[in-house]
Amino acid sequence: MELLESNSANAGDFVGVLRRFGILREQEHLKGTLPVAETQATTVLAFKFADGVLVAGDRRATAGNIVMYDRADKVLEIDRHSVMAIAGSPATAWEMARVLEHSFQFYRRSQLQEMSVEGKVRALSKLLRDNLGMVLQGVGVVVPLFATYDDSSNDPAKVFFYDAMGAQFEAVDYAASGSGGPSVRSILYYENSWGKTPLRELDQNSAIKIALRALDTAAEADTATGGVDRQGKIFPVIKIVNQDGITTVSYDLLSSLFNAALPLA
Amino acid sequence: MIDEPYRWVEAIANRREYIESELAAGSPTIALSCEEGILFLTFGKDRKKIFEIYDQIALGGIGHPGDIERLRMMAIELASTEGFARSVNDVSLRRMATYSFSPALKQAFEQVYGAPYLARLLFAEVGAQPTDDLFVTLDYDGSMTANSMGAGKGRDHFGVISGSRRSAEQIAMFLRKEPVEPFKSALATAIKAWGIGLYSLDEDHSEILSDDELKSFLKSQLKDYTLEAALLERKPKTRIAFTELNDATLQAALSEYEG
Repeated sequence: MELLESNSANAGDFVGVLRRFGILREQEHLKGTLPVAETQATTVLAFKFADGVLVAGDRRATAGNIVMYDRADKVLEIDRHSVMAIAGSPATAWEMARVLEHSFQFYRRSQLQEMSVEGKVRALSKLLRDNLGMVLQGVGVVVPLFATYDDSSNDPAKVFFYDAMGAQFEAVDYAASGSGGPSVRSILYYENSWGKTPLRELDQNSAIKIALRALDTAAEADTATGGVDRQGKIFPVIKIVNQDGITTVSYDLLSSLFNAALPLA
Repeated sequence: MIDEPYRWVEAIANRREYIESELAAGSPTIALSCEEGILFLTFGKDRKKIFEIYDQIALGGIGHPGDIERLRMMAIELASTEGFARSVNDVSLRRMATYSFSPALKQAFEQVYGAPYLARLLFAEVGAQPTDDLFVTLDYDGSMTANSMGAGKGRDHFGVISGSRRSAEQIAMFLRKEPVEPFKSALATAIKAWGIGLYSLDEDHSEILSDDELKSFLKSQLKDYTLEAALLERKPKTRIAFTELNDATLQAALSEYEG
């Protein structure tokens, strides 16, 4: 029953609570290699547009040359205004998302105030840093994007990207991660600098169209990216984050926007 | 000396008397089922007394702020670790109260060399229907009442704690006559119920107030108290059901007692 930490730097730290309860252990240093191909998730992107942030991810998860799953959800809601998009090992990434989600809730409930955006961004950075032992073993690497909406800021739409060690970078306009990330990044750079409308001035439907096209293009040269599967009717997951919270773009809207944009439709 | 059984019983009795006197001034806290969810309501003087515990669970407490804080943290940690390790659907107020809180409170109360918890708690868990709502009260000695853990008895659509047993009973008698209402009417009902509870905290007040008397009593008291209320929504937009009511809603509810 001794659990008062209100004055310490650990106040409201859910990871600490999990360790105390023995639910989460310190990183173990395991020896050996994974005898099967590790499952990987790929290609997520986030950019700011006129009404907030758009976060998108394709649906494919691969293990070596095998398609493990073609309906994976890599765009995960963490709280009312935060989304984490994952590239890398889903085994680690989904667990990180779970820890983050509970950490933010736990902080708000126990400390009776919302965690700051800086605090949230740092919390993810810390989880990545804690995962470094696994990464050095060659498994469980995660390179996520984090998007959120901060009402108190002059530039409320926020996009962050990370490296595998946990360094955090704030994106000015857009970010992409995963094996299709370089293609997506080139497309977003092109649209932003040379396209008709800079990303930040796009309305929602135009933003969705660009996200769909970028993922479709990334899938063209990258077998690990699912892109848009027209026959299987599988579309990327796209979420919009703004002042009102998070909305998931419906299948019908994705379908009609994508088909309307096809040159031969 | 308290190794002897009689001394032990005496020590416990003294302790009970002391805690009861410490809690006696506690402002009633009410949780009431309404169509939209569970309304949590109290009036306080200085500090917050209604808290979110988990997605569907809230807590109200009277007693020493330090003790309420320790118990609140215990509840949040229990619920959060369970929700993390298993699933949010596995977090249950019934289990938390029966297996964790009741034994912990009883143990602290009966170990006469240690300090007991100076607290009386009211937990509520919102369900899909008003008949699924669960209300649990826990006392400093670990004794527990719930609206619906046993079969066969009439189910209350509310839970209440107050400084004295009589005050809580008066509130319960009043609320039992009220049906499950829409949120707005439930808010008005809960304010009246609180007024009845506060009035009967005074041992000299044995009579039952008429509507007019209650109104003028509330009017006279509201200068000293601040209304605090929250709603556990039955159908929230996200998984999280708890929302604190904003000032505009609270002021509108109090407008008939102004002036």
